[in-house]
Amino acid sequence: MEIAASNDDRLRLEPLTRLIRSLPPYGAGDMVARLMQSAIDMMPAKLPAAGMKKRRSTSWITLAAALIALIALLPLAFIVWVAIQTGWDTVVALILRPRVGELLVNTVLLVAVTVPIAIVLSVALAWLTERSDLPGNRWWSWLSVAPLAIPAFVHSYAWISFVPGLHGLWAGVLVSVIAYFPFLYLPIAAALRRLDPALEDAAAALGLDPWRVFARVVLPQLRLAVCGGSLLVGLHLLAEYGLYVFIRFDTFTTAIVDQFQSTFNGPAANMLAAVLVVCCLFLLALEVMVRGEERYARVGSGAARQQQRARLGRATLPCLLLPAGVALLSLGVPFVTVGRWLLAGGTDVWRWDEIGLALGQTLFLAIAGAVLATLAAMPMAWISIRAPGPLQRLLESCNYIVGALPGVVIALALVTITVRVALPLYQTLFTILFGYALMFLPRALISLRASIAQAPVELERAASSLGRSPVKALWSTTIRLSAPGAAAGMAMVALGITNELTATQMLAPNGTRTLAMAFWSYSGEIDYASAAPYALIMVAMSLPMTWWLYVQSKRMAGR
Amino acid sequence: MSFLELSGVAKNYGPVAALAGVDLKVESGSRTAIVGPSGCGKTTLLRLIAGFEAPDRGRIALDGKVLANGGAAVPAHRRGIGVVAQDGALFPHLSIADNIGFGMARSEDKRMERIVELAYIVGLDKAILKRRPHELSGGQQQRVALARAMAMKPRLMLLDEPFSALDTGLRASMRKAVAELLEEAGITTILVTHDQAEALSFASQVAVMREGLFSQVGTPRELYFQPRDRMVAEFLGDAIIVPARIADGFAVSRLGRIAVDTKERRDVARIMLRPEQVLLKRTSREGMSGTPDMLFGEVTDCEFAGSVCTVAVRLLNSPDPPDAAAIGNTPLVLRRTGMDAPAVGEIVRLTVTGKAHVFA
Amino acid sequence: MKIALSTLAGAALALGLISAPAMAEDQGIIVYNAQHESLAKEWAAGFTKETGIKVTLRNGGDSDFSNQIVAEGAASPADVFLTENSPAMALVEAAGLFAPVDADTLAQVPQEYQPSSGKWVGVAARSTVFAYNKDKLKEDQLPKSLLDLADPGWKGRWAASPSGADFQAIVSALLQIKGEAATADWLKAMKANFTAYKGNSTIMKAVNAGEIEGGVIYHYYYIGDQAKTGENSKNVGLHYFKNQDPGAFVSVSGGGVLASSKHPKEAQAFLKWVTGKGGQDVLKTGTSYEYAVGKGDESNPKLVPLADLQAPKVDPATLNSKKVIDLMTQAGLL
Repeated sequence: MEIAASNDDRLRLEPLTRLIRSLPPYGAGDMVARLMQSAIDMMPAKLPAAGMKKRRSTSWITLAAALIALIALLPLAFIVWVAIQTGWDTVVALILRPRVGELLVNTVLLVAVTVPIAIVLSVALAWLTERSDLPGNRWWSWLSVAPLAIPAFVHSYAWISFVPGLHGLWAGVLVSVIAYFPFLYLPIAAALRRLDPALEDAAAALGLDPWRVFARVVLPQLRLAVCGGSLLVGLHLLAEYGLYVFIRFDTFTTAIVDQFQSTFNGPAANMLAAVLVVCCLFLLALEVMVRGEERYARVGSGAARQQQRARLGRATLPCLLLPAGVALLSLGVPFVTVGRWLLAGGTDVWRWDEIGLALGQTLFLAIAGAVLATLAAMPMAWISIRAPGPLQRLLESCNYIVGALPGVVIALALVTITVRVALPLYQTLFTILFGYALMFLPRALISLRASIAQAPVELERAASSLGRSPVKALWSTTIRLSAPGAAAGMAMVALGITNELTATQMLAPNGTRTLAMAFWSYSGEIDYASAAPYALIMVAMSLPMTWWLYVQSKRMAGR
Repeated sequence: MSFLELSGVAKNYGPVAALAGVDLKVESGSRTAIVGPSGCGKTTLLRLIAGFEAPDRGRIALDGKVLANGGAAVPAHRRGIGVVAQDGALFPHLSIADNIGFGMARSEDKRMERIVELAYIVGLDKAILKRRPHELSGGQQQRVALARAMAMKPRLMLLDEPFSALDTGLRASMRKAVAELLEEAGITTILVTHDQAEALSFASQVAVMREGLFSQVGTPRELYFQPRDRMVAEFLGDAIIVPARIADGFAVSRLGRIAVDTKERRDVARIMLRPEQVLLKRTSREGMSGTPDMLFGEVTDCEFAGSVCTVAVRLLNSPDPPDAAAIGNTPLVLRRTGMDAPAVGEIVRLTVTGKAHVFA
Repeated sequence: MKIALSTLAGAALALGLISAPAMAEDQGIIVYNAQHESLAKEWAAGFTKETGIKVTLRNGGDSDFSNQIVAEGAASPADVFLTENSPAMALVEAAGLFAPVDADTLAQVPQEYQPSSGKWVGVAARSTVFAYNKDKLKEDQLPKSLLDLADPGWKGRWAASPSGADFQAIVSALLQIKGEAATADWLKAMKANFTAYKGNSTIMKAVNAGEIEGGVIYHYYYIGDQAKTGENSKNVGLHYFKNQDPGAFVSVSGGGVLASSKHPKEAQAFLKWVTGKGGQDVLKTGTSYEYAVGKGDESNPKLVPLADLQAPKVDPATLNSKKVIDLMTQAGLL
């Protein structure tokens, strides 16, 4: 379901690294990534650049990073290549047809309606949980993050069996908001927590009543969080497949999969993918534009004082309805539905041999993919901390742009490339892991960056001066010290792979059946009861990671 | 009746009493500094006056109008009190001009002209108005914060450690500039700070605060030379405090016979001298003989630090009272200009100028 | 890092060893299976039980597998290809990638259920039906022909799953019987009239729930659900078009051995078993409810006999899936 995505301020031309930001101002990226990025950005401005002595190791690491960035660009290059091969007239015929128009309208409407609703909902929830004395606000805060543990297609599965016949744009909006609002809630809540209350005091002292303080001081400062979160939600909306199949709402991604199933790697599928890529790039650019060059952090030094929580008073009860209602829709419906199907299915649906195999394969793919993504991210992460510069920004933005592409696009590209050019690699473990690495590299990259930033370069130098070769020095100091960050990144990548459906279906080696694939296959045959155990296992596996994400976001925001 | 009156103001945070019943009177047009170590409750007091929080008990009145009484309080945005926070609290999403004009009605006539005027008053260049807060230096940010607060023509201005983030040199000049500015505008000012020199130089009335209560309120001179207790004395500057017997306007201690500021007679008392009251004169061991009233010492340490040197002097012929002997012959720590600081091992003669203060 | 990495790598390796038998171990023959997974599993299990030859299934759809095999060419890892419908087989055959089917296997299946070329063989069959909601449609309101569904009167009243190979096979029969122009027109009218669902089960469920009046699907979804709880079909009636109408099309599910197979003997044996008594009995007694096509093999008694369906005569080898996809893409259905 998930496309980890990150672009970066590095997309911009000016070096902005020295700005301290309240929230990471790059576009997409999953939450952990963002939160960790913010930790880096909060660090003292000047990062020690590599000295002359480190030239040699820098250059080979740069080479490795450049290579990885180039490889990451394969899918994009491939789409251009297919377009050229297909011929201009055919491309025009395939793109400028009413069906593409329909899909474009659907996709645009979906994003344009879902995102604002999710923003309003998230701001309201975040304010209630972070800035008011709502009873049990910590508990509500966790419940507002927990829907992330449920893959989007499981949300949809729950809704379709809860309200049969649910379909179309508004159904899409409903389930999308429910499945994805935490991507907005998390950064907005973190931003709210980190707002300097002195600003609100200053505005009050200047004669503004609380509503105007919120409108003129608080809201503008949430802009970065809102932009970043919206981009993340938008990219997920573009990439999601399973959710919209259940509720019969056609988007580019579902249409690409349809074409893929009908024609395999035909030009029609690839041209739809090209339009989808343009949509993604458009969202990335839009976010950069809207976000602007603003800096919303505290100006000045010293710790901000503790915020005061607004007293709700008599409004407490009505205010409780919002988080309770959201929790009911986003957690109650899936859990009740899955529970109901499990009850209906009884012990028959627990085919342990099948489930065990799927679980084992899923874990294997998830862990192997995570290791590969992390290894691939290492050179880039090292360079971005130790030797930042224009080249590094360029290379890094390559990785982020590719990470923002839907899994279906990357998978389609890899299928076609391997089939046409590298057939022995087709449908191998290598290719699917490679695909995962491309999709989830940004997650690993940002976690690693954060932890490398915390490992002082002096240690590396000290190790060098004690006679270790540059590579050994790097290994024995920085790489070891960044282990916790690497582990966190790996966990996030593993979570993404566990819930991935589209690319897995297209790239998996013979005999593979992951949890998501099994779930999808059963629910496709409307055997919802047999699908339920898989849904439950996926949710159970995602819950600890989601909890960790939640705790991390609290910690990053200084609580 | 004073311009601002606080009586019995108390505020608790959970079990912690941030303010334990504070009384204060501030005259119109005056400058008051509240000084105390961090955590003493001074910022809480400021926040209660500003209206950011309501006191648990007590009464706050401004110009005869009750702002807070018990739990009931006028909210901050209806008080018309200007606040300049520690780091300026400029709105990072607005330009400097918009920051300064934040409190003005958007439709206000000649808004831009007012903004330019205010910027001029606080000494900011017009060119700066289009910039963003983070592009300004700390001193400039403080000036913007001041201009922003002045834009609403407050009756009372609260300054919450506004100079603490600035460099030492800049801090003094900013302080002076702000003091003059507010004086000229006739705005009553309360400054909260932990820097005693700042408090003493800025205000006409200083209140020393400790653990939620005022230890002493008075003029800077009173507080410095006649502190109520050791804590106030040491908080406001270095102090030499020695036990003494006092009678007839003189104290007898290991520093010899020194004039004091009281006529009372006490066998056990403590007197306080500011180090700058002790003068040193170079002499030699030979020069010590035959002068029983005079006090001599040997320089045991001298730390050169540019304009000021710290000199430690061990008394050689102190008529030690018995209880002082128990403490040992602790050297006196004095400060001298770097130019004429004695070297280690030199013998000096000590003389005291002015009167010593006797603690009650 | 070293510790974390090596631990993780170790864990991954250990897990791989436990879980990857299907990925690493000897996989026997590899079957690209576009048939219903449950049916293929039964076939594979029965065959393995009888012969001891292991079968690895890779599940997917007709179109993606056929295109995939063509793309893979001689390097395809597949030994056997099983489909639900004929067009996919025709595509692979046209690419010259099938080995001839053993004569004794072909002999087990009547001529009409195998292509004239003998490059592949029918393994099962299914009939097109119009499933309708019995509360919403009376028998006299039912369409007489599949072509009637193009009438404006049917606007918004019927469903289909255009991305599925099942429906595409029906369109290919239409193309074969009525020609390109008529088919293109019909598809255009369909675009205006129909409601898209994903999967025939989903269509039946929607018809049953009264979300839509009827839908074009295959027969066995209904029979299968009736045999279970009937919860998704209790309000559903089946309408057979008959009369050699394109809507009476009987789609032949195919099986073929790839010329590139590394286990041709085992692969041929598998095909022979599937079309033989053992495989066809699975159709009769199992839960697939597809028609048996083996000579003398009876279908499940719950089904309307094949002979009564009055299906149009279509040579399965001539069904052109590529043209169908192009036409459907042009009509905006894909």
